Amino acid sequence: MTLLPDLLPTCAAALATVKTLQAAAKESVLALVSRDGKLDSALLEEHQIAAHGYAWLTTYVAALEHMLDWAGRIGAEGKFGELEQLILQAAFGEYVAQIQGGIPISQGEIVRPSDLGLDARMCHSFSSAETALLRRRGNTSAVRMRIAALIEDGHHFGELGLGDETLALIQDQFRRFTEEEVVPYAHDWHLKDELIPIEVVDAVAEMGVFGLTLPEEFGGLGLGKTAMCVVTEELSRGYIGVGSLGTRSEIAGELIRLGGTREQKETWLPKIATGEILPTAVFTEPNTGSDLGSLRTRAVKEGASYTITGNKTWITHAARSDLMTLLVRTDPATKDWKGLSMLLAEKPRGSEDHPFPAPGMSGGEIKVLGYRGMKEYELGFDGFSVPVANLLGGVEGQGFKQLMATFESARIQTAARAVGVAQRAMEEGLKYARERIQFGKPIYAFPRVGGKIAWMAVETMVARQLTYSAAREKDSDRRCDIEAGMAKLLAARVAWSNADNALQVHGGNGYAAEYQISRILCDARILNIFEGAAEIQAQVVARGLLAGGR
Amino acid sequence: MKVLVAIKRVIDYNVKIRAKADGSGVETANVKYSMNPFDEIAVEEAVRLKEAGKASEIVVVSMGVAAAQETIRTALAMGGDRGILVTAEDEIQPLAAAKLLAAIARREQPGLVILGKQAIDDDSNQTGQMLAALLGWPQGTFASKVELGDEAVVTREVDGGLETVALTLPAVVTTDLRLNEPRYASLPNIMKAKKKPIDTVTAGDLGVDVTPRLMTRRVEEPAKRQAGIKVDSVAALVDKLKNEAKVI
Repeated sequence: MTLLPDLLPTCAAALATVKTLQAAAKESVLALVSRDGKLDSALLEEHQIAAHGYAWLTTYVAALEHMLDWAGRIGAEGKFGELEQLILQAAFGEYVAQIQGGIPISQGEIVRPSDLGLDARMCHSFSSAETALLRRRGNTSAVRMRIAALIEDGHHFGELGLGDETLALIQDQFRRFTEEEVVPYAHDWHLKDELIPIEVVDAVAEMGVFGLTLPEEFGGLGLGKTAMCVVTEELSRGYIGVGSLGTRSEIAGELIRLGGTREQKETWLPKIATGEILPTAVFTEPNTGSDLGSLRTRAVKEGASYTITGNKTWITHAARSDLMTLLVRTDPATKDWKGLSMLLAEKPRGSEDHPFPAPGMSGGEIKVLGYRGMKEYELGFDGFSVPVANLLGGVEGQGFKQLMATFESARIQTAARAVGVAQRAMEEGLKYARERIQFGKPIYAFPRVGGKIAWMAVETMVARQLTYSAAREKDSDRRCDIEAGMAKLLAARVAWSNADNALQVHGGNGYAAEYQISRILCDARILNIFEGAAEIQAQVVARGLLAGGR
Repeated sequence: MKVLVAIKRVIDYNVKIRAKADGSGVETANVKYSMNPFDEIAVEEAVRLKEAGKASEIVVVSMGVAAAQETIRTALAMGGDRGILVTAEDEIQPLAAAKLLAAIARREQPGLVILGKQAIDDDSNQTGQMLAALLGWPQGTFASKVELGDEAVVTREVDGGLETVALTLPAVVTTDLRLNEPRYASLPNIMKAKKKPIDTVTAGDLGVDVTPRLMTRRVEEPAKRQAGIKVDSVAALVDKLKNEAKVI
């Protein structure tokens, strides 16, 4: 028998046990990074591995908690079938084993309990009959091969647990839209390194994607972040570029909705909602990434306008956009985040021949491995003018805070993009493994292949449930910076490992540019980097957990 | 003019159908359902008629378990105006479906009824024809084009090519695959659909006896196809066709 008896109580008991380990780890890591009872930056840096390891450990515990929650919810609807039970069991088996043995926080870095200051004797006290059972029998090869058999038709990978008729309808319609309008063409856009055709952008606008979370009074649909996740996952499953079209509208929408004046909301939000205005986010500079406080682009007030001077980079969709959310330094006396302001800077939409026709603004394309379709640019501003009325919120010095307020949503959306990419990578691997015949049978029949794909299905579901949970927190108006960060952290790792393993399943063919998986590998790689690289993401989560007492 | 559209909730076309081990039917546990694809075409056609100003209201009807309400909701998100769900626990066979639709048609008095030509689950291809007969209305089946004026001019896909018939209204039309390409429901339309009404009636309310008249004896999967072999010459092929397959 592959399926454990009393699975739910076993998982619940195991979760309680790993939580005691987590509590001990927290105490131990806090002791490492605190001085006089307070978090100390120098110590935090010195014990980065321990702190980040604790962030990952907490991510795992949260993931298991939400998997158990998922099982309960779909069970109430009579949808906790054999596949779903095995997914839960494998997830617990593997993650409990990793929590107790070592968590890969990247390919070359494994954080073990000893790295968190927990010795062997203490670790032993954090195991129970249930954790031992799950480690031994939760995620065996036989379990994975049974999962492989259950997902073999390539259309059912476990109940999503949306629990809502409207969300299910949205998921279904966006799956169809993506299958017909995106999947057949995406690889060609990638290979030709082209912008996603404007007709497709228009179709996405028509579907209502750009106004998804904006309030109804400003022309939006007033849907929650959970709906955003569902839509984003489906579009990203087709192509990360299409799933990311909404990202900049989401960021600009959040910036204006939360930080804008009434007039700014009325001016911009309805046009963002319809897709008439495509925004782009202009924050990063050549020497300023995560350390936004060192930002140098200057805005000098001259009469009724600001004059902008400086350089920006990694600006996605910069040429074919109409509105820049432009982060600048308005107070030259400051050297940190306090002197930063956000401008709503209009620009004419560029063409292929003249990508940046605005006076005082120039730009060049950055060629990239993947995540194409909107193109990446570096921008130069020299005397570019923005009316003073376009200062977000009408008060200088609010830029950093305004931007921080959007990070939760942006991270959740990015986690959903990662889940979509992870799902597609797994599906491509499965399709190939079933078609590829070697030694007289589909390679899917071999445990090293079928089992790999089954684990991808399990971990994709884990990342998805963690992402949904962060979205639900956001929809309930609860602070969820840590939850959003954890979802992004895990989902990005899963997307990459799925893409890498799915390519491996393709063998040499996966390395050929003509196979979709070669693109998906390149697309997946960005997820661990943008919207907070995995290291800074772990840092933010760790700091939040250790400083906030959460 | 009011248009009545009948839709059926079926196992999604992507699902690999499996027979139940006891042969009593097909596996339905944890299986995805969606709208019969031919019925989606029927909904789309009705929405296009409304957009062209030729229809004033679209009433969507489905029958069966309570979950069929989700399918109606999809049709409303595509552009239907209101829904009617006829609840029934039993399997509804084509004649019963036609009788229920006839009862609703008498009540609603539509100018046109549009249905899929068949459902992809049982492939009966009977309901539309039976409905027309029960109502005594003209029928245009397997439509690949519908033009609506004082009468309905329907282009039909028949074995020999295309046949065009003119139907006096009210009439019954069943859709073929090439009539149109159904739209996706956009988010704004999905939100609007939440507010559209769905009435629920029972077969008893409509005075229709839906007791099944056909009995399914056994459902089994087709035999697994045997692997083929390669022959090394034409002579060997001819020999096998003659003596093994006995086809020449």
